[in-house]
Amino acid sequence: MTRALWYLAPLLVVLAVWVYGPLAFTVVLSVLDWDGSGTPTFAGVDNFVKLFVQPEFPAALLHTVLLVACVLPFATVVPMSLAIMLWKRPGRASSVYRALLFLPVVLAPVATAMSWQFVLNPLGGVLNETLGLLGMDPVNWLGDPGTALPTIAVITAEKVIGLNVLLYGAALDGIDRDSLAAAGIDGATEWQTTRHVVVPQLWPITGLLAGLCVVLAGQWAFTNVAVLTQGGPDGVTDNVYYRLYTYGFTFFDTGVASAGAVVLIVVLGLPLTIRTLLRRRAS
Amino acid sequence: MTRTPIFVALTAAVMLTAAGCGTSTEAEDGTITLSFLSYNYGTADLGGEGTQQLIDEFEKANPTIKIKPQGVAVADVLTKLRTSTMGGDGFDVAQVGWSKMAQAYQSLPVTAVQDIASTQDWQDTTAGFNQNVLKATQRDGTTVAMPYTMSIPTLFYNANLFRDAGLDPADPPSTMDEVRAAALALVEHGAQGVYFDVANASKSDFLTQSLVNSNGGAVVAKDGTVTLDQPPAVAALQTMADLTRSGAQPGISESDALAAFKAGKLGMLVTSTAVLAGLDAAAAGNFQVQATGFPGFGDKKPRPTYSGAGLVVLSKDKAKQQAAWKFIKFLTSEQAFTTITTKIGYLPLRPSVVTDPKYLKKYFDSDQRLLPALRQLDTLTPYTFFSGEKADEARLALQDEAVEPIALRGADAEQTLHTVADKIRGLIGQ
Repeated sequence: MTRALWYLAPLLVVLAVWVYGPLAFTVVLSVLDWDGSGTPTFAGVDNFVKLFVQPEFPAALLHTVLLVACVLPFATVVPMSLAIMLWKRPGRASSVYRALLFLPVVLAPVATAMSWQFVLNPLGGVLNETLGLLGMDPVNWLGDPGTALPTIAVITAEKVIGLNVLLYGAALDGIDRDSLAAAGIDGATEWQTTRHVVVPQLWPITGLLAGLCVVLAGQWAFTNVAVLTQGGPDGVTDNVYYRLYTYGFTFFDTGVASAGAVVLIVVLGLPLTIRTLLRRRAS
Repeated sequence: MTRTPIFVALTAAVMLTAAGCGTSTEAEDGTITLSFLSYNYGTADLGGEGTQQLIDEFEKANPTIKIKPQGVAVADVLTKLRTSTMGGDGFDVAQVGWSKMAQAYQSLPVTAVQDIASTQDWQDTTAGFNQNVLKATQRDGTTVAMPYTMSIPTLFYNANLFRDAGLDPADPPSTMDEVRAAALALVEHGAQGVYFDVANASKSDFLTQSLVNSNGGAVVAKDGTVTLDQPPAVAALQTMADLTRSGAQPGISESDALAAFKAGKLGMLVTSTAVLAGLDAAAAGNFQVQATGFPGFGDKKPRPTYSGAGLVVLSKDKAKQQAAWKFIKFLTSEQAFTTITTKIGYLPLRPSVVTDPKYLKKYFDSDQRLLPALRQLDTLTPYTFFSGEKADEARLALQDEAVEPIALRGADAEQTLHTVADKIRGLIGQ
């Protein structure tokens, strides 16, 4: 055991310095009033109260939930469908499509966000020009409070789809072939086989990707919000992560930002902790 | 103890030590290195080339001083400065936008440039400077930040679109009513009308203040009272809402509007002179870009305020402060303003360079588009700040929660400004 600890020591030191240390510091900061310079003063729960008394944080929470709801289908249903289609038609074309779908994942987030700015330009952007050819009116995709959040969700989803198609592809390679053969012998159609045999075997990976989406969608959207909308219009694209960044690095209200981070840890960590404890109890 | 655990422990120690190592900025030969944060550095449109040229020329003339420049997005200047100062790796000299200057004075270790220079050196250096600009940018009678890249909001217009719409490019609009009429004429002929860059991405309120000042009001009164919900300010911003609601102004973002003007689709653009070089590059061979002064309200004289930036010294080291003062003197010299105007697009703050054949006489003889803005430098209104620790938060609230919805979505100015003014008063403790 002692020897094992020595081998683990570098990793534990790195975790302590770069992960758990800052986490502990964040909890400490959440009860202080400090702008990063000068002497901090004890604020107790004032920062938490400020967080919920001002309308911005609750609004950002709501927008984060809406963002997750918009991105979730693109993190699960869409990549699952694409992966199944590619799995059923193996060959060179399938590999090419996989590579094309994965391409957005490797492109720099700021560069892709700026490209979207040109595509979505309300005056002469590619998308509105195409809509014009179809006889539709141009839309101010990022400037209209009604369309800005779904637009950010779709732009965010572009990266998510590619990676998740890859993950679903790996899961499909592990599908029980005997169950497919049995379904064929029983006379099941392709659709019935997909629906009742293939998809249920993808529930574990779907659960994982859905969970990751819930936890990380706000972070995935951060660059797009920072580059394209800065939380606007009317704050509709302001999600929890961008709001915490604004508190911490624009207003330098480190206490409130840290309080928000603590709230986030509790909100996201509690269900996961309860789930883990219940699973342990069940097993 | 076996060798393996010792090796592992040493590896961890080396990793941690390497992570904490930095480099010294002073060489053994006495060369001083100044770290310089600039939002012009490294950019295409905003004159990255011009800034690099200035740095190269300074280093050539001052071999014992090295400049270590770093670029930053305009909106992130304060964030970068504060986080680097907090991290113990602050900058020695920084280009800070005027809209962020109040917060910079509050939260950064700024030493007034006037206090670094000797009295004689200061008098000699500022003798040829635009005295109105110097006075307007002082804080309690002292120049803390040296005026550097400055501009006045200017109305740029597409002369070709003007002709197509039956307007005379030689007689551009000079009042808000004329701007509105011209914009509607442009819209009728298939173009976009006008775009006032009030809701800009850098969240600067210089254009907001220019509008309100020109209508006889103020965002912040001289005694620091918030007055952005008073009738003159409300009426000024209601003009923006009316332009958008009437279709004369598209409710789009600053970047979309710039792209539209460069593509020849937008007839008029009211923004900083700093974009002129970029507009010319895009328009070359396609259409003619002209410029005129900031429009007034009725018979009231326009009273724009300035945008752009000043140079602040953040180092507390005496030797670095003197080196920084040398650098600032160079960046605000006649030769530097020649580069700043021709390459970066800001206004020359030394009036003599405009008529001096060694500097900008030839430039202004062949291109008079910046002359209206230059003339308005002599009558410009000081930029005003919200007071207190939350000054920056107050400015962002004004721009995000009032100006943007009013200008881009035609929100009711009176109601919106009353709500936001109350919020700002709460933030700054009024």
